[in-house]
Amino acid sequence: MSFNVILGILLAGLLSNNYALLHFLGTGAVIENERSSRKSLLVGLMTTLVMVVSTAITWPIQTYVLKSVPYLQNMAFVLVMLLVVEVIHLFTRKKVETFCKVDFMKFAINGAVMGLCIHNTALGYVEALVTAFAVGIGFMVTMTVFSKLSSKIDHDAVPAAFRGLPVNLLCAGMIALALLAF
Amino acid sequence: MNKTNTGMKEAGILLPLGVGFVMASSNDLRAAVGMGVAVLLALFFSAVVISALRKVIPQAAHLPIYILIITGFVSLIQMVMEAHFPGVVNMLGVHLAALSVSAVPYRDAEHVSGVMGEGPSVKTAIETGLLFTLVMAVCAVIREVLGSASIWGVAIPFMQDFRISALSGVFGGYLVLAIVFAVMRKISGKKETEKEDVAA
Repeated sequence: MSFNVILGILLAGLLSNNYALLHFLGTGAVIENERSSRKSLLVGLMTTLVMVVSTAITWPIQTYVLKSVPYLQNMAFVLVMLLVVEVIHLFTRKKVETFCKVDFMKFAINGAVMGLCIHNTALGYVEALVTAFAVGIGFMVTMTVFSKLSSKIDHDAVPAAFRGLPVNLLCAGMIALALLAF
Repeated sequence: MNKTNTGMKEAGILLPLGVGFVMASSNDLRAAVGMGVAVLLALFFSAVVISALRKVIPQAAHLPIYILIITGFVSLIQMVMEAHFPGVVNMLGVHLAALSVSAVPYRDAEHVSGVMGEGPSVKTAIETGLLFTLVMAVCAVIREVLGSASIWGVAIPFMQDFRISALSGVFGGYLVLAIVFAVMRKISGKKETEKEDVAA
């Protein structure tokens, strides 16, 4: 795989292949995120790690085991994700709890990770890993940008019915519209 | 607060968590109804099983157990839909599988089915599922009619020249859902005010 291809995948993960905003996977987690930018960055990084490790495990499982039993795909992938999140949480528990006190497990198992693992089965192994990393970084950047953006919205200037989620959706729509240009 | 209000309140809390699959499936009415039925059935079956097993499931391991129960039912629904409505499954793509790790059924399991009996859990699950189906159908009708000039896949001839194609795209999903949420909030706010007036 050439450097240009890797760079292309990385850029696509941030822009045209942005899962949260353009594929509607994990959108709720991003839009409903009320963490500070720093916490969002940390949770985003952990989610990236979950995406890469989950892809590294689910790809061979799909290729070598699930070919004959495709109906077990969801169950197998969810089991892998649960295991990966549990192990990562075990190693980083102290750090994560200091920063977030959140249910990292609940956050890290989202539609974006599941969708990514399923999409990546159609790619080659290395390409799938690079894509997982790129999508994870895109997810992290979106989360961080969105947390900063939503804190800047002047809700008093917004009509009452549009305050909160509707105006957040409109902001996300604007960002998505900008990303579509790529 | 009565039980009906609790159910609707829970449904209102769950709605923002499912914005992803609401927007993903609302560019076509068939996909919206398919997804709505899938959400309704997944919530219903997982509510029945989780509320029945709530005293047996250990608190320390409730998260993986809930997710696995939900995933089992989502897989089952996906297989049935693949057999009978393959076109709808194609339209929904990976979003149907992603439903198994969505925060909607999980939160419903943790806050309702995991603590309440079968009756209230099933009632809340049905209310939530119906609310999701309704919201997705409303969004889908707006996006499909105005964006694609068709309804249920059938072209509307006199609308062909007045299509707003942006509505059937990604931005249309955000825009229409934001407006639908705002209208819902306005209506529910009016009802609350009327109730308060009556009570006073």
